[in-house]
Amino acid sequence: MKMTKNRLVTAIVIVLILVCSYFFMGPQPNNMIGVSPQISEVAQSTASEPSEHTIEPKSKSSEDLTEVGKAKDSTASTESGESGEPETLSTESALTETEVPLQEESQVTDAPSAVKPSGAPNASDGSIKKPIDKSTSTPKVTVGSNPDTEQVIDLKTGKDQYQTAPVPEGKAMPVEPQDVTISDKALTATLSISAEAILNNIDLLDKEKVELVPEDGVIFSPREVTFYEGESVFNLLLREMKQNKIHMEFVNTPIYNSAYIEGINNLYEFDCGELSGWMYKVNGWFPNYGSSRYQLQEGDVIEWVYTCDLGRDVGDTYLLQNGKTGSGESTP
Amino acid sequence: MSDRFESYHPVINFIYFASVLIFSMVFMHPVMLGISLLCAIVYSFMLKGRKALMFNLLYMMPLLLIMAVMNPAFNHEGVTILFYLKSGNPITLESILYGVAAACMFVTVIIWFSCYNAVMTSDKFIYLFGKVIPALSLILSMVLRFVPRYRTQIQAISNAQKCIGRDITQGNWFQRAKNGVTILSIMTTWALENAIETADSMKSRGYGLPRRTSFALYRFDRRDRSVLLIMCGLITVLLIGTLKGETAIRYFPSIKIPDMAPFSVVVYVSYAVLCLVPVILSLVEVVKWKSIESRT
Repeated sequence: MKMTKNRLVTAIVIVLILVCSYFFMGPQPNNMIGVSPQISEVAQSTASEPSEHTIEPKSKSSEDLTEVGKAKDSTASTESGESGEPETLSTESALTETEVPLQEESQVTDAPSAVKPSGAPNASDGSIKKPIDKSTSTPKVTVGSNPDTEQVIDLKTGKDQYQTAPVPEGKAMPVEPQDVTISDKALTATLSISAEAILNNIDLLDKEKVELVPEDGVIFSPREVTFYEGESVFNLLLREMKQNKIHMEFVNTPIYNSAYIEGINNLYEFDCGELSGWMYKVNGWFPNYGSSRYQLQEGDVIEWVYTCDLGRDVGDTYLLQNGKTGSGESTP
Repeated sequence: MSDRFESYHPVINFIYFASVLIFSMVFMHPVMLGISLLCAIVYSFMLKGRKALMFNLLYMMPLLLIMAVMNPAFNHEGVTILFYLKSGNPITLESILYGVAAACMFVTVIIWFSCYNAVMTSDKFIYLFGKVIPALSLILSMVLRFVPRYRTQIQAISNAQKCIGRDITQGNWFQRAKNGVTILSIMTTWALENAIETADSMKSRGYGLPRRTSFALYRFDRRDRSVLLIMCGLITVLLIGTLKGETAIRYFPSIKIPDMAPFSVVVYVSYAVLCLVPVILSLVEVVKWKSIESRT
């Protein structure tokens, strides 16, 4: 192929356009570069200190990278050391680590819902039901008094049928909304909606949306709201937003069997950087499953918060914990 | 009224369509959308008469309605909540209006392209781009010709088959299907043969040999220059207006339109004049002809 003048000019123009688009791409979240090393480092040193995940200087990231490499090597070596053992044993040990006690005292009231783990076709081929009674060491399935509180985990993926990793000890299990019957017994919970995290990242926010953020970032101040027994966090949010004339858009995602909240008060996901969106926490914990699957209890404190950094800026430690082991193997 | 704009230099034609198409795609301001849509309909009517009107009414209107409804069904952004869907998502005024605007824009661009196809024939296109991108312009002009060409050919085959009672309109449904397959088979054979013939013909005429020139009857004369200058002036006004934000509009989260000012009227008028350049030229021609005729 002959290198004519036209071709040369075209190549230069293309390169120029690429360079320009690189420089005029707009503001980027400033901690994009050090994300994974940062997580691993924090997890290695002190997993219990959430305040340490501050922004890393860029120069350090290469160092961190090597560290990560080392860590990987070490884990690989331990794995190879264990490889002689039969696989069933290792899975069993993983099991005992992820045990979650029954929460009968909190969930018994939902007995009318009588949940069957209907969509568990993989229960026979290497999947187990959680939680397991602590006293029995054999992986016996407890089809216990309350089926509400179990999470069927597929051992191959380490997740349940709706892509949820094991729920930490002592936290509420997901309850599938299709299995729930909502009674008309009115209960109360506390609901609040806040976009406070945007205030620290206002330069990342879509210019057209700045006017939507309140001075203090509070969209829905904490207040007592009524819900009906059996309802989920999503049901409550939907009703309250309708009643209070606050805009809210969601989309149902069948793969997670839950609604996904795209935007509240016209503040949408990705409006404040690529890592932004709405998250919810109940009693201070960010559930690792969708809001349609979180069944409310009397007196729950529900907070919807807008994050600009995948939850790290609003106090979610899920990523930090999972950065440590990768598969959600252990709890802190 | 015949279209005089077609007889202008290809550069003029191309600049006109390129600018009008780009502006139609970019401007979401309701006034600009309305101007563009109206002018496109007028020009397509002038070019193709009642056929264009039928096309616009039969295909474009339903398309416009469907697209206008589609947007609020899937997009729920906006501060003005009108009512709630059964699923729980809100229907907002902003998403409806944005849907209407987007549908208008879509339809307008399609109509402009139908005009483009009528005016910018493939010889004009090759004349313009044959030097810069020879292979691509040839392929483009051939591909763009395929659909109308195949349609006329299939019509010819169908007519010939009708003479011997083997058209898809004749016989019972099984016979019809059989005839249809036969027509398709004839069509495929013809297409393959035609491709080989085209290639042979091009080869025998020395396509692709170096130092070959092509003949074209186009001449850039005074009227072309004056039209070009006028169009450049109008485009400049529009660009300045765009830079000053006169054509901007914000749909989400709430609708925000810049206030009307004398300058925005200037921008609207220049946009309308730019879109109507071919119509105005034809009108001027008609008036001139009439006056000459009456003098003699």
